[in-house]
Amino acid sequence: MDNSAKHLLQRLVRRIPVSMLKSTLDKWERLTAEKRKSLDFTQSKWIITQELVALYITENPNQGMWHTFQLVEPEDDAHSVELMQFKELFKSHLRELQRNVSVKIKKHTDQAVWIRVAWGDGLSSPNHLKATYVVLYLQTPYVFVNALSSKHKPLLLQALTLSTRHQQIKAANLSGQKLTALRDLLMRQYQQVKLRVEKVQAEASANRHRMARETFGDGMLPALQSAVFKLETKFKGPTNEAMTQRDEPFICSVKFSSSNLLESLRHCASSGIASTPVTPMLSSIPLKGRNYFVITDNVLTA
Amino acid sequence: MEGASTRGVLSHLSLLEVQARSRGSQVPQQPSRVKELKAKVEALTSQRDQLKAELQIHKKLQKLRAPVDKQRVDGEDEEMDVDSESSELFHLMARHSELMDLLHAHNLIGGYDAITTNRGKSMCFSLATQYEGVYLDTYNLELNLKPNVRISRHNIPPFIPLNSLAEQSDLQTDVRAFLATVSQHLNAFAGRRQQLKLVKEQHKSVEVMESNLLCSILVLMFTVPKKTPLLCTLEYTDHTRCLPTQVHLNCEDELLPDSPKWKKNCSLLMEVPVHRALTAIKKASDII
Repeated sequence: MDNSAKHLLQRLVRRIPVSMLKSTLDKWERLTAEKRKSLDFTQSKWIITQELVALYITENPNQGMWHTFQLVEPEDDAHSVELMQFKELFKSHLRELQRNVSVKIKKHTDQAVWIRVAWGDGLSSPNHLKATYVVLYLQTPYVFVNALSSKHKPLLLQALTLSTRHQQIKAANLSGQKLTALRDLLMRQYQQVKLRVEKVQAEASANRHRMARETFGDGMLPALQSAVFKLETKFKGPTNEAMTQRDEPFICSVKFSSSNLLESLRHCASSGIASTPVTPMLSSIPLKGRNYFVITDNVLTA
Repeated sequence: MEGASTRGVLSHLSLLEVQARSRGSQVPQQPSRVKELKAKVEALTSQRDQLKAELQIHKKLQKLRAPVDKQRVDGEDEEMDVDSESSELFHLMARHSELMDLLHAHNLIGGYDAITTNRGKSMCFSLATQYEGVYLDTYNLELNLKPNVRISRHNIPPFIPLNSLAEQSDLQTDVRAFLATVSQHLNAFAGRRQQLKLVKEQHKSVEVMESNLLCSILVLMFTVPKKTPLLCTLEYTDHTRCLPTQVHLNCEDELLPDSPKWKKNCSLLMEVPVHRALTAIKKASDII
C-alpha cells in the first residue's frame, strides 16, 4: 500500500490531542457519519490510527499491487459457507499456523469480505504498518491479495483454502493496481458477449468493429492497466542467423501498459492496427481473466 | 428653440447611455465564447494528433506485414486443404446440423435464442431469466464446437459453478441437458435475488442482516409485536430452487419459535416465496 499516505495519516493523528480527535474528524467531514460512529474513541490512539488507515485503504482500493488467486476443488459444503462460519474458521486456522497475528474481517455492502492481517511472530507483536489486505466474495473462487510477503504467503493461502472449504488454491495470473478493474473483469460485470443477428457486413471496418466489440465487450471496460507476456520461444528472424541457430529459447518479456488496456486493445482491433479476428494472445485477457502469460513454442500455457 | 436642442442633446445622451449599458452586458459573453472555441480547438487538435499517430502506425504495419501477409495467405491455403478432408468436414457439418435441429425444436417449445458465431465454429446461447412473470437479466454463453464442445465466452457470474455443471452433464453428447441445468441455476438465482429485492422494497420494517452474492442464505430480523427481535435464517441449499430448504428461528424468548403460530409461519416460509410469506405473516399481526 502507499506508505506515504499511511505515514502522513499517522503523523497527523499523532499530533492531534486525544481529546480533540473526535471533534476534528467530525469537522473534517471526510468520513461518513456511519464510519465515524464505527470508530471507538475509547481505544488507544494507536488503534484508532490503524482503524483510520484501514478505512482509507478500503475506500481507496486502487493502489499498491493486487494479486489474484483462485480456489479450486471445492468440498461438498463449500457452497454453503456463510460469513460467521468463515470468520471463525479463518481466524482459528491462521492462528494455528502463526501465533501473534491480528485479524480483522468485515463484510461490505457489496458482499465483499475484507480481511486485514497484521503479522507478528513468536517474539514481536503484530506489525500494523505492513498489514496484508485480502478481498474475497463468498461462493466465488477468486481471492485478491495485497501486500503479502513471501514468508507469510503459504500461511495465508492455507488458511484461506481451509476456511472456504476448498482443497487447493493457485495463482490466477491476474494482477494490477486497480482492484475494481480486476474484480469487474473476473465477475464479468461488464458488457461481454453480445448476441446480435447481424448480417455479414461488406464493409471491412464494420466487421472489425463488430469483432473488436465481440472480443472485448461493449461500453465501459474494466480499467486493467497492464498485461505481461513472457516469451520462451525459439528466436525466428530472417536477418539474424546467429540467434536463429541457437537451440535454447529466446527469453523475453513484453509488457503492455495503458490507463485502460482493454479499451486500447479494442480500439486497436476496431481501427485495424491489430488484425482481426483478434489473436488469442490478446483475447485471452478478457476471456480467461488473466494478464500474465507464458508463451512457449507450442502453446499458450495456462 | 433652446428647449428643442437641449431635448435633442439629452435624448441623444440617454440613447448613448442605453447603448453603453446594453454593450456592457454583451462584453462578458465574449470571454466565454472564446473559452468555448479554445476548448473546441484543443479537442480537434488532439483528435488530429490521434489520427496522425494511427496513420503512422498503419503505414509502418503495412511495410512490416507485406511479407508476413503473404505467408499467412499461403498458410491458410494449407489449412483449407486439411479441412477439406471429407470425414472431418462432414463430421462438423453433421454435428452442426444436429445441433441446429435440436435448437430449432427446442426453440419451438420455448427454448433459448441461439446464433452461430465465428463462421459456424461456435454457437452462442442466450439464457433469459424470469421470475413471477417479470423478465430479469439475460446471460449469454458461447460454446466452441470444434474440435470438441467447449465453453468459450460467457457473462455468467462466477458463483454459478459453470465448469462443474459442464462436467456433470456430458457436453459432447448432450448440450441440451447442460443448457437446461445452467438455465435452471440461473433462473433460481435470479428468482432468489428478486425475492430479496422485493423484501427490501415491500417490507421496510424487516431488516436484512445478511445475504450473499448467490442469494443462498438470508438472515432477517423481525420485530414481534411485544418488541422482541426475532432472527430468521433462510438457507437455500438447493441452488436450483427459489424456496428455502431450511428455516431457523432465534429469539431471546426461547419458547417463541416453538409456539404453534411460529411453527406454522416457518412452514409457510418454506412453501411460499419470502416476500409473500412476510405479507401474510404481517397480516396476521405476528410481526410488525
